[in-house]
Amino acid sequence: MAYIGLLSLLAVMLGLSVILISLNWLLGPKKKEPYKTYPYECGVPLYDDTAQTTFHQGYYILGLLLLLFDIEVAYLFPWAVVYNFLGVFGFIEVFLFLVILTLGLVYAWKKEALDWQFDLESL
Amino acid sequence: MNDMIFTAIVIAVKILVVLAVTLGLGAYLTWYERKFAGHLQARRGPTVVGPFGLLQPLADGLKLMTKAPILPKGIDTKLYYMAIMMALVPAIMLFAVVPFGPSFKIMGHEVKPIVANLNIAILYVFAMGSMAAYGTLFAGWASNSKYAFIGSLRKAALIVSYEVVLGFAALSVILLAGSMNVFDIVDSQIKSGIWYIVYQPISFVLFLFCLLAESGRVPFDIQEAEAELVTGYNVEYGGMKFGIFPLAEWYLNVLALCAIATVLYFGGWSGPHIFGPFSGFIWFLVKTFGLLFFVLWVHWTLPRYQAKDVVEFAWKYLLPISIVNLVATAFFVYFKG
Repeated sequence: MAYIGLLSLLAVMLGLSVILISLNWLLGPKKKEPYKTYPYECGVPLYDDTAQTTFHQGYYILGLLLLLFDIEVAYLFPWAVVYNFLGVFGFIEVFLFLVILTLGLVYAWKKEALDWQFDLESL
Repeated sequence: MNDMIFTAIVIAVKILVVLAVTLGLGAYLTWYERKFAGHLQARRGPTVVGPFGLLQPLADGLKLMTKAPILPKGIDTKLYYMAIMMALVPAIMLFAVVPFGPSFKIMGHEVKPIVANLNIAILYVFAMGSMAAYGTLFAGWASNSKYAFIGSLRKAALIVSYEVVLGFAALSVILLAGSMNVFDIVDSQIKSGIWYIVYQPISFVLFLFCLLAESGRVPFDIQEAEAELVTGYNVEYGGMKFGIFPLAEWYLNVLALCAIATVLYFGGWSGPHIFGPFSGFIWFLVKTFGLLFFVLWVHWTLPRYQAKDVVEFAWKYLLPISIVNLVATAFFVYFKG
């Protein structure tokens, strides 16, 4: 029942964003000029035709770390809600869970996965 | 049948109110921020359009709407448009779970001033908060510009780092309240008479860091970085297509996260009844705007840090602190009762 409001808001927002996007077509001037669509690069001609190339693997490692820790957090949410009913069982269980999680963090730290990877580029 | 019609009308009114409040406030926050920044830097801010420059947001909006529609060369058109949607829609959807005040009665029906009273509201906030990262990423990838691409990657790195800390910070509040429903969280604070910021000062500070980082405010605005990246991921957007990005990221996201922080740490609408029947709503707005004022203050006072510093800070300092805080809270709740 609560999700009806959510879905209708989503529908309204999708419509509204389409309107906002198309406003420039409706109201703006449409004169064509040769360099109007040229990508911005500080006024010099482009060095490469496309900017959609490879990117540094440091971002990839951050993504992996997010997968690891954010999913652990997702596991902890249900535990936090019913914690008062679990007693000593919930307490010890999650303590062990967090210890294992912290070991993962320490491991990543030791492997220098938490460091910003870009310093290696200068070597 | 009558009930169904009533529910439909109530939902429609709620959606209209949320849209009017968020878009109107979002537009006028630009005026507020410029005025605030002006006075902070011994300038006067906008003064020309209307009294005190009050019509400035309308003039800006009109100007943005009547700009020429430009599609840069070599862009990925589908993603280019999808980025705008992915930035705006989650930012407004965040307001669906913001309780603007206590429940009240209309024609014998109890009405709660919230669009969707979810039992997993806080989890929903995180879901929508991370959705906003896609808007930035798509914008950077689709625009075929290196400035945009670098800016969007930095922003993604920042969000993935602070998302984890945000989760752990809010977990300790959920642990105290025993629920993810915003009404339950506020009610438990009103019942005990103590705001959770008293129990959870560390968690609040962590939340504040994440609030600044997720919404790209200084000192975490490495994706904008005017001096080096021009404006980062939205450099190839123009007109209203550009206008949506700052609106969604700088104003709507900040406002929504301030409202959620008010619910989690400042007791939502609780406060003495000194404004008559609307005192709950007014207290909620006062607290939210107090936090917003703090965010703007920080934005126009501090310098920017390097991407390296803020990302490593999240993993090496904030994350261990938040885990320790969570364990300490679990101990506290267990031995208290």
